Amino acid sequence: MVIITHHRRKCIGCNYCVELAQAYWRMSKRDGKSVLLGAEEKKGVHTLRVGEEALEANEAAAKACPVNIIQVKVV
Amino acid sequence: MGMKKQVELLAPAGNFESMMAAIQGGADAVYFGIEQLNMRARATMNFTLDDLEAVSKLCQKHGVRSYITLNTILYNHDLSLMKRIVDEAIKHQISAVIASDQAVINYASSKGLPVHISTQVNISNIETVKFYAHFADVMVLARELSMVQMKEITQAIEREQIKGPSGELVKIEVFAHGALCMAISGKCYLSLHTHNSSANRGVCIQNCRRTYDVKDRDEGHEFHIENEYILSPKDLNTLPFLDQLLDTGVSVLKLEGRARAPEYVKTVTKAYKEAIEAVQDGSFTQEKVDTWMAEVEKVYNRGFWGGYYLGKQLGEWSDSYGSKATTKKVYLGKGVRFFPKLGVGEFKIEGHQFAKGDTLLVTGPTTGVLEFTAEEIRVEDQAVETVANGVSCSIRVPEKIRASDKLYKIVAA
Repeated sequence: MVIITHHRRKCIGCNYCVELAQAYWRMSKRDGKSVLLGAEEKKGVHTLRVGEEALEANEAAAKACPVNIIQVKVV
Repeated sequence: MGMKKQVELLAPAGNFESMMAAIQGGADAVYFGIEQLNMRARATMNFTLDDLEAVSKLCQKHGVRSYITLNTILYNHDLSLMKRIVDEAIKHQISAVIASDQAVINYASSKGLPVHISTQVNISNIETVKFYAHFADVMVLARELSMVQMKEITQAIEREQIKGPSGELVKIEVFAHGALCMAISGKCYLSLHTHNSSANRGVCIQNCRRTYDVKDRDEGHEFHIENEYILSPKDLNTLPFLDQLLDTGVSVLKLEGRARAPEYVKTVTKAYKEAIEAVQDGSFTQEKVDTWMAEVEKVYNRGFWGGYYLGKQLGEWSDSYGSKATTKKVYLGKGVRFFPKLGVGEFKIEGHQFAKGDTLLVTGPTTGVLEFTAEEIRVEDQAVETVANGVSCSIRVPEKIRASDKLYKIVAA
């Protein structure tokens, strides 16, 4: 399983995660920050559990994120 | 003209501490970011939409004008946040928005919020001033112009009577002090190239401040570039020629530094306030310049030069990494309570020890910046000469201190 976490408050809205992992990310038109689709929020940290097929694209998104707020872990 | 006209001193505020410090230093106006759409987009240097009311009240209370920076490149997904920031700014009577993207310029001006054109637009000639005069009463020039070029622009505004939406002549703003880019503002893509981290979205990682080697690709020889951080310009400082800078007819002097500490903001603002007043009352002397220079050298700087204003062809490059400040602050502890009748503050010391005679610094969101000498210190109601780490003590303070304050000592760097 793959766990993706997103510290959303620090997002600057650069759009890289959406470009690199379109199936998992969208830009919010409300506040201009990215949204990890289907994630659960706890104390500002958004977490999504997905299958291994999500790994490659989300690792690319995490690597591209200029403010390092995306973490991808294989468990 | 020039010498006698009103000059506005505009200071940076990355948080409430620095905003208070700017006010204490004598700023006429402050600028600050809300959320992520500004050139210091990292969250720690910004206010949120929820802070706007408090910011506005603080500025109004002190008679200081308030400007929101909203000057990044904008994407479609940013437009609704941008509009919300502008709407909230109007609701809370913020004085103006500093903008570069046409989306912001158009929306704010359609809603009647005064627009200032950001240096990100790189205004460098009078026709561009005329163009933006349809939308804005204040324009920041590109930082790469010389004073001769600035003067030509302000004289043309006067001669051709170029007026903004308010019906008044367009005012020209220039940077007076602080960090400079090695590129014309906004035209640098180094940070985007190496780290996907766009300077034009407010997350410059400052590649230019690092040191580099040059490698000969044919034979593999590597050269360390001698002694100089060749991409890192020294900081702009216009104090030595502030009389000439004001003589160009500029109306607003901007101090860079939304990422700087509150004591930096207060020190630099105060020096420029005094310098502007000295130019205006005819008492601007070399001796005074020396005093102000010694003050601003105490806080963060990469060494100083006059920027491009004096018409030098190439920049002066920093010869070291980080700051050349002559002083630094050392964390001592935090405020606990204030005893108004005694004029004494209680502090919990948890960083370093300090002694009688040390220069102390208190900063906080309401206190701003307070600097004084430790003259009377008590531990458990006994007068003492030194205070060890881990102890609670009371110190005579010149003004009220608060539980939200931090205590430092100022030492030679």
